[in-house]
Parts: sequence; structure tokens; C-alpha cells
Amino acid sequence: MADVSLAGVSKSFGSVQVLKDINLDVKDGEFVVFVGPSGCGKSTLLRIIAGLERVSAGEIRIGGERVNDVPPAGRKIAMVFQSYALYPHMTVYRNMAFGLKFTRAGKAEVDRRVRHAAEILQLTPYLDRKPRALSGGQRQRVAIGRAIVRDPAVFLFDEPLSNLDAALRINTRIEIAKLQRDLKATTIYVTHDQVEAMTLASKIVVINQGRIEQIGSPLDLYHRPANLFVAGFIGSPKMNFIKGADGKAATLGVRPEHVVEGDRPDMGLRVAGTVDAVEHLGESSFIYMKLDDGTPFIARTPGDTRAEVGQRLSFGAAEAQVHRFDTEGRALAPG
Amino acid sequence: MIGFAGLPRPGRIAVHAALVLYTILAIGPILLVVMNSFKARKAIFGSPLSLPDGTSFSLIGYDSVLAKADFGLYFVNSLVVTVASLFFVLLFGAMAGWALTEYRFRGNLVLGLYLAIGIMVPIRLGSVSILSMMVDLGLVNTLVALILVYTAMGLPLAILILGEFMQQIPKDLRDAARCDGVSEYRIFFAVILPLIRPAVATVAVFTMVPIWNDLWFPLILAPGRNTQTVTLGVQQFIGQYVTDWNAVLSSLTLAIAPILLLYILFSRSLVRGLTAGAVK
Amino acid sequence: MTAAADSAPERIDTRDTTPWSTYIVVFLAPAAIVYTIFSIYPLFDTIRLSLYAQDANGAVSFVGPGNFVTLLTDPRWSGPFWNALKNNLVFFAVHMVVQNSIGLALAVLLSLPALMGRNIYRTLIFLPTMLSVVIIGFIWQLILSPLWGVARGFLASLGAGSWFAPWLGLEGTALVTVSLISVWQFVGIPMMLIYAALLNIPDDLVDAATVDGANQWRVFWHIKLPLILPTLGVVAILTFVGNFNAFDLIYAMKGAIAGPNFSTDILGTFFYRAFFGYQLQAGSKTMGATVATVMLGIILVGVLLYLFGVQRRLQRHAL
Repeated sequence: MADVSLAGVSKSFGSVQVLKDINLDVKDGEFVVFVGPSGCGKSTLLRIIAGLERVSAGEIRIGGERVNDVPPAGRKIAMVFQSYALYPHMTVYRNMAFGLKFTRAGKAEVDRRVRHAAEILQLTPYLDRKPRALSGGQRQRVAIGRAIVRDPAVFLFDEPLSNLDAALRINTRIEIAKLQRDLKATTIYVTHDQVEAMTLASKIVVINQGRIEQIGSPLDLYHRPANLFVAGFIGSPKMNFIKGADGKAATLGVRPEHVVEGDRPDMGLRVAGTVDAVEHLGESSFIYMKLDDGTPFIARTPGDTRAEVGQRLSFGAAEAQVHRFDTEGRALAPG
Repeated sequence: MIGFAGLPRPGRIAVHAALVLYTILAIGPILLVVMNSFKARKAIFGSPLSLPDGTSFSLIGYDSVLAKADFGLYFVNSLVVTVASLFFVLLFGAMAGWALTEYRFRGNLVLGLYLAIGIMVPIRLGSVSILSMMVDLGLVNTLVALILVYTAMGLPLAILILGEFMQQIPKDLRDAARCDGVSEYRIFFAVILPLIRPAVATVAVFTMVPIWNDLWFPLILAPGRNTQTVTLGVQQFIGQYVTDWNAVLSSLTLAIAPILLLYILFSRSLVRGLTAGAVK
Repeated sequence: MTAAADSAPERIDTRDTTPWSTYIVVFLAPAAIVYTIFSIYPLFDTIRLSLYAQDANGAVSFVGPGNFVTLLTDPRWSGPFWNALKNNLVFFAVHMVVQNSIGLALAVLLSLPALMGRNIYRTLIFLPTMLSVVIIGFIWQLILSPLWGVARGFLASLGAGSWFAPWLGLEGTALVTVSLISVWQFVGIPMMLIYAALLNIPDDLVDAATVDGANQWRVFWHIKLPLILPTLGVVAILTFVGNFNAFDLIYAMKGAIAGPNFSTDILGTFFYRAFFGYQLQAGSKTMGATVATVMLGIILVGVLLYLFGVQRRLQRHAL
């Protein structure tokens, strides 16, 4: 097991800078999730940690040791790819054993490790099959098994769930969380799905345009977003933003689940507008509105809320639930 | 992937050195011939490896080729044969490829396999019978004979490649047209044909080059003075004037030029075709 | 982990069988007719003709396998036939060994990621393949000619001038020289096919193997090579069919006689002489058909061996 630290990491492809001065510490045993929109550089950062890309500047340490010039195989990492990257011409068994071929592990040791991993992942009946004869979920487990047998210090996952259907994705998400707790391995996981990030991570790193926007626990990011980007990215539906409604702040933000109907003077934020659309989900309803100045606004209300399209409604939120941002988009301290 | 960039510097240099050497080996001989075709006889033998300069430059070879051989006619013949064959291969090939991939009729598979035989079995081996047939039809020493044979020769591969490409066109597109009451003919000509243009370019190059370059069928079916193609014409000319080095080099250069020009223009789509599906 | 709801996916063809209708006939007829008349019929007619003999007056009579017996036993025919077949095997062997290994090597180099100038190399190396075999034959004939002395001069500049010999004119070296010229021309084809196959290997697989500890050589040996085996199979069968059907190069460089002393004679030139005759012997339609039928047999055996032996084992992997 090991910690991972990145200091001043930058990466350019030609004249395009995809990562700018990344500083990050991942503690031993931590489950860190890199989240951000596609193209933000999160996968490149993961590949840099794996050793599949070289940094343009900066330093990478794994377990305290500088690994900038260490090839992937020497970094004690294992990686699970989005496409699973199973070797199509090898059986499940050989897929898992391939990485051990180049280590000093003897045949018996390799066999023990592969069978143990297959046991954990319920792959034992499929060991002699080729990947082609497996379902998506089984392939996914082989990919994870291939990582486990290497007994790595750090697990790297590159969007491992995006090729699975919705139901299987939730199942596998829970399995990955359980596996990580059992193995107590340092894990770095890349996703563009903020729900995956919130549910899996002990620490989330929000990345946008090659920069780290904020690092924190899932609830930290939810309750105290450092800027407009994080506020808008974490949480679903998105936080509502209202321009210049307040003397101090350039933008006010409030989450749809924190607004209540009505117009009372003690509210920290008060808005009114016309209903555009209503969605009833059963346990709650989403009311889509257009405020008087044209700004869109979403409110999440109790399931039995009655609202008609075209109706005028007022909403507000308690002062504690209102986020304030300055002209640069940075969050202002409460009060 | 780290790949080439991850190689140590000497490794990278070695890779480029190997590729440069092979590239020189590949185009050197061609350049040598083209270069020397513009030189006087003395310079061809005296300094074969140097570029033509003020003193060595000469077009005497071209003068004698153009005087002794009817190169213009050869070009027209080759062009007519190639373009006409290409047209029929593409049109008939696309039609058949479409029918085989789109409609599931009885005998579809058998017919597909039948049409694929020609991919592996060279039509050349039927030459004895083809010649008799052309004699019976009175087509010997006509360009029509060549066009018919080349059309038959090009069809199997064209049907295969175009058919595979058509399969990738979303089914919804044809079904939408069918819901609008468009006829099957119009679906093919107005919807499908425009969509397979990239594949058509690929098949065109695959089909065109062997036809333009072929020696066998012109030699057997149309060796007459008026129907000689460039390849046959050059072969006969060199056989006759083998000692006139200027003329030999010039005739070779003239024969290379059109393909060279075409290759420079279309090498991108050709390479794309050869590496189809591997676009990165 | 849970194995619920993940049985292997299956692709089902849901198209209905459509009855034959006018438009299907219209789409298929032109190709089927031209192809049948000018490709398939002549092949079968050639086989039929091989069972007949033609006398001096042009009268044709059925002789069954008589022509094949003549071809294999009559010394006027069997000697040249076995010579041509043996030469053709040498021609093929040189292509398999030299052409396809150089093609593979070039493809591997070209497919290295981040290689600068990849397109230029590829385009230039492929150039000779585009030119007519006849032109290539003449170009090399000039270069190797002792009269011009370019090859001798080149070797001399490398300090190996004494190695030079008129290779094309010597019985011992002519066949291999001609084979190498053909290799030089066609190396672009295996190069391109293998290059395409290498590009089709997903980057993730190579990355995964790299993370698994494989160096570049091991990645090639354990991952890439097994995955391009089907393409190598295709290259082999294309080489086979092309070589046993070759004619133009030998005819252009050495004429129908395939000199010196028939040392470059292959089945294609042998077929041509059987059909059209040459100084010593009149041409025969039926003997021509017989040789063509034997060539057809050889090619069919090769193709069938490939389809049922090699290709079955080298199954394509769904990537």
C-alpha cells in the first residue's frame, strides 16, 4: 500500500496545455475520485500516474519514491480501462496471469493468485473462456481481476462503468466500493459522472480545463463549493444561479432541493416567475420556471405539489442555504 | 501509449534511418529513370546519378519516342478502357452489392459466394476460352473486348467492399425512405449511392490500377496497332528500340507519369481505403 | 460480484425473407451476367477444353485425361512443366520469406505511435506497387545492365564492386533476381495490410500490457503478433495466388522463353507458350487449356487449404 503525491504536474500535447500545475496528495488507503467534464484532463492525469504518459513538468511520487522515470510496470500500480482492454486471444485465466508472467512469481504462485481473484469475483466457472464469450459485466470483472492479481499498491480505474447498462452500473459500483474496503488499497478513480464520484469517493478532486477546481469530501463539495464551477457540477439537478440579486455578491446560488414555496421576509433569497413545465416523480416534483428577468430556475417540491404551466409562483430559501459568489466566480464566506 | 516517443534517442534515430534507407531503395530506381530520361546519351552513361544540368539536359529521347511510337493513341486507348471498365464495375458492383446486403431473398448466400469466387480465382486462367469467345463475337482487337473482361474481373471485389460499406449505413435511413413511399430504385440511387462515395473512391483505385497496368489481356485480346494500351505499347516499343537508351528511358517515364500524377492526387484516399476502418 | 442479468449478448438478424421481385433482379442482373459470361464460363470452358485435343486441321476430339497424361509424361512437356513448377515454388518462397518479412518489419516501424513523417514514408514506399509490372521490369533491367553500369558503380562506391555480376543473365541467379525485383515492387501490399491490422489493435490493449509489465518487444510478441495472425494468413494466400498467376514481369524482362535457358520460366510463361507456341513448337489451344487447368487446380488447392486449414484456426478476435 502506498500514498501518491503530485507536485506541480503539467502536461502539454504540442502547444496545447492539458494539465496545469496539479498538486495533490492521495493518502494510503484513500479512495480518490477525479471528476470533471469530458476533455478536462482527468484521464490524462490518471495515465500520468500510471506511467502511460510522461509529464511535461512536475513530480510524481508513489510510496514516497519519485517515479517520473519509472515505467508503468515498476510503479506497483494496476489499471482498469474503460474498454476493459481484455486480450481477445487469451482465456480469462491467461488474461489474469499475463501480468505475472514478467514477475518472479512461480507457476504455482501465479495459479494461486489467479484462482483467488477468480473466487472473489465469482469468475471461477469462466476461467477457460475467451473474453468474446463473456457478458459486459463479466468482462468488467475480469478486468478488475487482472488488476487484483498484481497485488498493486495503487488501483487506477479509468471510467470503468461507462460501458455497462444502468442497473449493472449501480451493482458494480457497490461491488467496487466493497472490494476497495476489503483490500484497503489506495484507489484513484476517474469518472465524468458526479453521482459515481459522490457515492464512491472518500475524497473528490474536481477538475476543469486542466486545473483542480476543488478537493474535498463529497459532502464538503456539496455544502461548500469553492466556486461556480464546482457548485454547478456537483448536485443534480444543477444549482440555480441568479445574477446580481444582492449587493455584495455577483451571483447567488441555491440548490433546487433547498427552496420552498412562498415569499417570506426572513428568507435569504426570494424569487418569482412563471411555471414552464412540471415533472411529477412521485416522491417529489420538479418545477421548471422562468424568472421575470428570463433566468431559468428549478425547484424541487413535495410530490403532491399542484402547479400549472403558466402559473406565477414565488420561491425562497433560508439564508444558510444560499451560496454567494464574487465576480470571478469564487465563493464568498457566509455572512 | 508511449511508443515511439518513449524509445530512447538512439532507438528513434535507428527507426528513422531504417525507414529512410528503405524509402530511398523504393523510389531511387524510379527517380533514376525519370532523371536520366532528360539527359543526353553521353551523360546517361557518364554520370547516371547526377541531375540533368545545362550541358546534359536533352529531350532527344522524347523526340524519338514521339516520332516512332503513337503514344497519344496508347494513352487514349488506356484511358477509354480504364474509365469505361471502372464505370461499369462501380455501377454494377454497387447495384449487386446493395441487392445482396439489403434484401434477404432465396439463394442470397449462394449467389454471394458465387460472385466472390473471382476474388481468389484469377480470370486470366480462362484466357484460352475468352480468346475463342472474342473471336466468335468479332471483338478481337477492339477495346470493347478489354472493357468486358476487365468489368468481369473487377466486379467481385467491388461487390464485396461496397456491400460491406452499405451494411454500415443506418437501417433507419432506408426505412424512413420506404415509409415515405420512395421506390427501391430511388432509395438506391438517391439515398445509398451518395452515401457510399468514400467507398466508391477506394474501390475505384483498386479497380483502376490493375487495369491500367495490365499486359496480359492487351497482349492476347487487342495486340493490334490501333488498340494498344500504354503498357503494351511501351513493352513493344522497348522490344524494338532496346539500344536507344534515350528513347527507352523517355518511354518509361511517359508510361509512369499518369499513374504518378494520379497517385499524388489520390494517395490519401487510397491509403485510407487500404487501411479502412483503422482511422485514428 | 453479482452475475445477475449478464448473459452473453447475441446478435439476431431480424430481416424477413423477401420474395424475389423485379427490383432484386434488376439490381443483380448486370453484374451476374457480365461476370458469368466473361469470368466463370471461360474458366469452366477452359477445363472442358483441357479434355479435348486439336489435330493439325483444327478438328477437335475428346481425349479425356489424355492431355494431362501428355503434360506429365511426354518429355517435351513434362520437363518444362516440372521446371516451371519448381521455379514458381522458388518464386513463391522468396516472396513469402523476403517480401512478407520486410512488409511486416516496415508495418511495425510505421505503426509506432508518434512517429514523425509516417504518411510520407508510407506513401513513398507504396509507390512502386502502383506502377505497371512491365515498367518495373524494364527499370530494373536497365539498372542491373552491365552496359549502363549503375549497379556496378553503386556497389563499387560501397567498396564491393567485385561482387557485381550480370545477375539477370546468369542461369544460377536470374530466377532469384527476378523474384527479388517482384518483392521490391509488391512489398507495399503486405506492409499496408499489416499496418492497418496493427492500427486496429486498440491502444488500451497495448497500455494494459504495458501496465502488466510487458516491454515493447513482449507487447509485440504476446499481444500484437497473435492479433494480426489472421492478416498474415490473408497476406500469405494473396501472395500465393499472385505468384502462381504471375506472368507480366518475366515476359517483360525475359520474354516468353524465360531465359537464360528457361531458368526463369514459371507457370504463367509456360502457359503462354503452350497456348501461343514459340520458335520450337506450335501453340495449342487445348494444351494451353490443360496448363491453365493445372494452374487452376494448384490455386484452388491453395485457397481451400487456406480457407479450411489456416483461416479456421486463425479466427478473428472480436476486439
